[in-house]
Amino acid sequence: MAEMSDLPAGLLLAKLASELGRDLGRAARMAGGPARLARLSSSAVSSRLGLDADGRSTLAAVWNVETRSALPAQIERLGVGYIDAGAAGYPAALGALFDPPFGLFTRGDWVRAFVALAERPVVAIVGSRVASEAGTQFASRLAADLAAAGAVVVSGLARGIDASAHEGAMAAGGITIGVAGCGVDVPYPAAHRDLYRRVADSGAVVSEYWPGTRPAPWRFPARNRIVAGLADAVVVVEATARSGALITADFALEYGRPVLAVPGMPGSPRSQGCHALIRAGAGLCEGITDLREELPNAAWTAVSERDGPVDANARAVLTLLANEPMTPDQAASRLGIGVPEIAGIVALLQLDGFVTELGGRFQVVP
Amino acid sequence: MVSRLVSPALIALDSFTVAVEVDMHASRQSAFAIVGLPDAAVQESRERVRAGLTNQGFRVPEGKIVANLAPADLRKSGPQYDLPIALALIGVGGSLSAASLAGVGAAGELGLDGSVRPIAGALSMAEHAARAGWKRLVVPVDNAAEAGLIAGIEIIGVRSLRHAVNILEGHEEAPDHTADINRLLLEGTQARYPDLAEIRGQGAARRALEVAAAGMHSILMLGPPGGGKTMLARRLPGLLPALTTDEAIAVTRIHSAAGLMAPGQALVAARPFRAPHHTISAPGLVGGGRTPRPGEVSLGHLGVLFLDEVCAFAPSVLDTLRQPLEEGVVEVTRSMHTARFPARTLLVAAGNPCPCGHAGDAAVLCTCTPMNAERYRSRLSGPVLDRIDLWVNVPRLTRSELTEAQAGESTATVLARVAAARAHQHARGQTVANAELTSDDAGRYADMDAAGRALLDRAIDSLALTARGLHRSIRVSRTIADLAGAERVERAHLAEALGYRSPSGSGWPK
Repeated sequence: MAEMSDLPAGLLLAKLASELGRDLGRAARMAGGPARLARLSSSAVSSRLGLDADGRSTLAAVWNVETRSALPAQIERLGVGYIDAGAAGYPAALGALFDPPFGLFTRGDWVRAFVALAERPVVAIVGSRVASEAGTQFASRLAADLAAAGAVVVSGLARGIDASAHEGAMAAGGITIGVAGCGVDVPYPAAHRDLYRRVADSGAVVSEYWPGTRPAPWRFPARNRIVAGLADAVVVVEATARSGALITADFALEYGRPVLAVPGMPGSPRSQGCHALIRAGAGLCEGITDLREELPNAAWTAVSERDGPVDANARAVLTLLANEPMTPDQAASRLGIGVPEIAGIVALLQLDGFVTELGGRFQVVP
Repeated sequence: MVSRLVSPALIALDSFTVAVEVDMHASRQSAFAIVGLPDAAVQESRERVRAGLTNQGFRVPEGKIVANLAPADLRKSGPQYDLPIALALIGVGGSLSAASLAGVGAAGELGLDGSVRPIAGALSMAEHAARAGWKRLVVPVDNAAEAGLIAGIEIIGVRSLRHAVNILEGHEEAPDHTADINRLLLEGTQARYPDLAEIRGQGAARRALEVAAAGMHSILMLGPPGGGKTMLARRLPGLLPALTTDEAIAVTRIHSAAGLMAPGQALVAARPFRAPHHTISAPGLVGGGRTPRPGEVSLGHLGVLFLDEVCAFAPSVLDTLRQPLEEGVVEVTRSMHTARFPARTLLVAAGNPCPCGHAGDAAVLCTCTPMNAERYRSRLSGPVLDRIDLWVNVPRLTRSELTEAQAGESTATVLARVAAARAHQHARGQTVANAELTSDDAGRYADMDAAGRALLDRAIDSLALTARGLHRSIRVSRTIADLAGAERVERAHLAEALGYRSPSGSGWPK
């Protein structure tokens, strides 16, 4: 049975998990590891999993020798890569997880991406899917700054903060890794098809699920444990009191990774989760400096400070907006400048990423 | 014997001559038939004509009466043939001489008492009559004022059948209905739109309206309910320069064809403001029907079409706006005829940023699920989205913002700047407003200084502007430069224009 022992155990188990539509992590732990579980006979696996008749026939179909030996060719045909847990190049950080994935399916140049994971600072940026404009702008700016400082940005490919983090890192030419809660070839949400492709081009899209696996509610918390596991530190940008980003933060704490939270306006429901984290002792994140301080030994590269705007009126507007968000006419009347001029100034400041608009009011991007 | 006169027929805005002939044979059996492809309303004309004649003291000739409407292959619709049929019948009866009916056209609906009721489309009919070289056109007195706008045809406005016969026979002096169009236009410009000065705060939106008016740029206002989007939109027609004579006639022609003229109203001299409800059907919006009627987009010709709650309109209905917004004209094709209605309107759309209205609201958390919000926003796709030049947020102001807000400029002040900007465009040799320029022309007219070009290059790189978005920003920057009285587009003008582009990354389709 030479070809059977060559087959990565995780690949077989991922296929079985996908066919059965359940998680096999516990069964693997009970068996003493995925490799042992994969070596068991189908009847032994069946009794461990407590399968019914349907389950047993599914198991038998996956467990037979022809199916097994066809699996590597199957994912290759889909253009999906696979690296088994513990294989050379596999992210060592994931070994520390209580229930590590059996392996990772990948899209993109995983060798390059995983080398970067090993050598560079890795920061996960997570947050609400229903984020404010200011939140997404901050996430994007922070990701860009991190990428410029040589860090790898990890996130979950979801709407809102996740997407902005990926976009920011890519805009700065950095490496970003997206962890999917479904198959790496299943864009979720569907609108993110293009984002998946670009993230794969710039770094990698990874997932522990067999290609084609549909998203399911329980798979997102599971995805979050990988996001937290890959990262040296986790930044929560915006999170309501019940946000999934807090699950990522919990995993990070469990794995001993520092958690930082971005503060919002007092009482803002969008930031309640972040404020709760800070109250519980999470670091406060206002920008990349906080991460460099949190991870002093990481291999940061030096970057030059950003210059402020040159124009005197623009500086005045920026100073004014730093105190409180306001509408262009408020700024106009405070500074004695016409609304058209203010409109032009804030448009330029927005273009340069200094300010952001939130429903007609402008505020400074921290 | 046969008695005949002519009547102008309208299909949409196109006019035709219909010859109305009435023939009577002595017969023991009384009969009255109308032939020549009449619709139901024309068929019912028999009863109104008979009653009208009798009640006005005319004798309905005894015998077999046939009214023929020629050409026989043109469908005749509506009650406007009552009057010509009645006049021809009176001619047959001998109370109106053939000479009195020579070169006379008539159109009007009859009441049972023989009074003459107003009809739709009198202006186009008078134009047709003048073109066709008719001598006199008899119209209901309520329509005489609009018909009187047209030179080269004597308009006779009549109250009743008796009144018509008396004038045609020369027993009574015909009142003069010639209208002084310049006086009417002046009165129109003095018509009061709500004044911009009544709105406190919202400087950004007011400025965007000014830019919209100066370049005919369509505008989308986004904001929570209660921000004042509708108030702002209602003030936009007042910011547009007064209609010229030809424009006012064009607008009046459409409103007349739709039957929207008030009795005795001569001219729609003010820029129209149309605000259809979001439940409107496609024919209601762009026009249609078996006998094609102008839709809201044509009724807003040279005025403002305001689509409030734009995301609540059925997408299929909004899609029908594609042709009118691109070509400035609506074509309604029926088996026998293609009707064309002009539709150059300034589109103003308004909407909540999401179904609950609170996306982007600092005070209240948006409760929409991302998918719901996305679906809502995706309804604003296609033709409307493509045409929006100016995106502007209209926040609901807090009390302190309202008290702090300075009293805004009046409509007259802003209108003066808009007129000056339009004059600039004219002086360059532009025949259309900036928003209607082709890409080539926009590139030619929007000469940009070096700093502006540098900013444009940066914007293309960092904002991932599409070609369409790029040209839109260039046109808008040209308008802003016109408002500033600048020959070339400067960096600050382009910067402001970039501020009006569609918000990226906020879930709105691009």
